[in-house]
Order: sequence, then structure tokens, then C-alpha cells
Amino acid sequence: MRGAALPPALLCVALGLGLASARGKTAVLGLAVLVVTASAITLAPVPVSWSDAVFLGCWMSIIASAAIVYAPRTLQDKAALALSLNAGVWTGALIAVAPSKVGLLAALPFSLCAWPAAWARRRGQAIGLEVIASWLIGVAVLAATLQFLPATPGYLPDHMD
Amino acid sequence: MTRRIAGMLREAPSAPRPGRFSAATALPIVFGAAAVTPAYAHSGTGLAGGFESGFSHPITGVDHLLAMVSVGIWGAFLGRPLLYALPVIFPLIMVGGAILGMFSLPMPPLELAIAASVLVLGLCVCLAIQAPAWVACAIVAIFAVFHGYAHGVELPSAADPFGYSVGFVLATGLLHALGISIGVLNALPNGILVTRSFGGAVAVAGAWYLARTLGL
Repeated sequence: MRGAALPPALLCVALGLGLASARGKTAVLGLAVLVVTASAITLAPVPVSWSDAVFLGCWMSIIASAAIVYAPRTLQDKAALALSLNAGVWTGALIAVAPSKVGLLAALPFSLCAWPAAWARRRGQAIGLEVIASWLIGVAVLAATLQFLPATPGYLPDHMD
Repeated sequence: MTRRIAGMLREAPSAPRPGRFSAATALPIVFGAAAVTPAYAHSGTGLAGGFESGFSHPITGVDHLLAMVSVGIWGAFLGRPLLYALPVIFPLIMVGGAILGMFSLPMPPLELAIAASVLVLGLCVCLAIQAPAWVACAIVAIFAVFHGYAHGVELPSAADPFGYSVGFVLATGLLHALGISIGVLNALPNGILVTRSFGGAVAVAGAWYLARTLGL
């Protein structure tokens, strides 16, 4: 197992931090895009055999979204919406391949961190966001690497199963 | 006192941008990550490891704990931008070390390097060494590789490796934040004496670890 609702939750957090760099209205629109896309993809018949690709997409999206925090400029509207669409696709796909759909309800609220993050950015406290973004990037890099590990990761069946 | 603390945080010869670490921004993430329950695919097989396991790994290992807290305190001595740069650099480089550990790539004696990190970082705090930015970053980065390696070797066998990763990265970051918080004592009367004494105690512990590792 790879953490149930934790990967989509972290993706939503990363997106929230990234959207904090966008204009207020764009951030709101981005969150709406996330919710709609994720909900739609969750209902789509995503084959469980795509799990590895879906998780890899999630890790890459976390890295991309968190990396936006380090951009000195305001996030362009189109880029913000593209980022939200991307996060929505992978969040929905993660939930679609999970045994339970309830994870979506647990994950999506984490994107609301965009508000305190934008507030912190406006007050010149972006450095705190950068620290958190570095944690997210670190975790995503580790998780992505795990998929290419020659040893059997703990979430796969082994001789004890 | 508030002004002195604010002054210390502003004290930066080459601060690239204004701002302070905001606990308000960190708390939702911290509590959020802790609130999401990780799943256990290997329940019943005896295979341990998830968020709790990863989170407790840097905290229950006293050598890890002392080194992480010392990084934060040293950052407080160095002022901005290193006050915040070190806690950003450390987890990112630590991940590189963890990847080396996950692939079990050969490394110099791990325990020796970790013991040395406790000694050196303790001395940096104790002596309040004002190292140039690149030297401080290099010291922290080198030790981060070894600490990451120690976490990484245990990661693949965890029942929930992702939860384990989140746990140990989060715990490491919080220990840095704790170190920075302790470093705020520098703004108080005799506060520097307290923090430097703490650094001295860490250095003594590091020397003890080193002696034990070398079998002295």
C-alpha cells in the first residue's frame, strides 16, 4: 500500500502552495478546476494495472506544483489553471485506483492551504512556504525512486503474503 | 525583547528577500499529514513501518536528534539567509542520501560519519562559528547525505514506504524548526550562553559517539 489518502492529500497541499503564487481569483478558479476534474476522473474506470503510472504522475505533479513556490514572479493565469487541471487528473486517478473513493473527501480540503499560503506570501513570509515545499519535493522524489527500486518495496506482496 | 528577536531574525548581511518562517503556514500541513491515516498492506505479517515509524526514526535516535536540532541552532547563529537556507538544503540533500541507502550503494562508515556530524555541528554551535555561506551549506549537505542514508536503508522494507518517507522528512524539518526556536534564546540576556552550552553538550555527546564507534 502507498499511504491511502496521503498521496492525493500531499498533491493537494502542493497545489495549494503553488496557487498561492497566483492572483486571488485565479487561485479560486484553480481550486474549482481541481475539484471538478478530480471528481470526474474518480468516477472514470481507471484500470488498477495503471497504478504505477498513476503514482509516478502524482509524484511528478507534487514536485512540479511545489517547485512553483520558488518562482519569484506571480503565477500566470493559464499556468495556474493548467497546474490545477493536472493535479485534478492525478488526484482523481489516484482515488480511482484506490479501493475506496472516500479518500477524495479527505484529500481535497488540503488544497485550501492556498489561502493561508497566499496570506503568508503577501506578508513576505514566503520562506516558510519554501521550507514546506522542500519537504514535499523530498518526499515525492523518495516515493518516485521507490518505484525503480530493485528490492521489493513493502507495499508489494512478498514471500510472507 | 520582541524587537531584539525581530532584529536577530532580520540580521542578514545579504538577505535576498524579506520574511520570516511562519508557524501559521506550517501547522496546517503538519497536523494535516498527521491526521491522514496511512494504510497497512502488511498487517499481520510482522512487517512494520509507516508514518509513525518514519516520524519516530529521527526523534528516537538521539544522534540524529542532536544533529538536526544543532543545524537549526547553528542557522540561528548564522542569521539570514542561512537561518532558512539550511532547513531547506538539509531535507533535499538528505533525500539524495536516502536514495543511496535505498539502493544500498557503498558508503564510508555510516556510524562514524553520523557521530562526526554530532561532534562538528555541536562545536559549530558551541563556538558560534560564523562560517561563510558556502562552507556552512557544504558542511550541512555532507552530513545530510549520511543521515539520509541511515533513513533510506530502512525505507524499502517498510509496510508503507511513502508514509515512512513523509514521517522522517517531516520529523527532520520539525527538529530543525525546534533548533531555530531554541536559537531565538540568543536574543535574551545570557541566552547565547545557554545555546552555546547546549552546543557544548552536543559536542561532548558527539565525541562520546565517535569514541564508541572507534572502539576507544
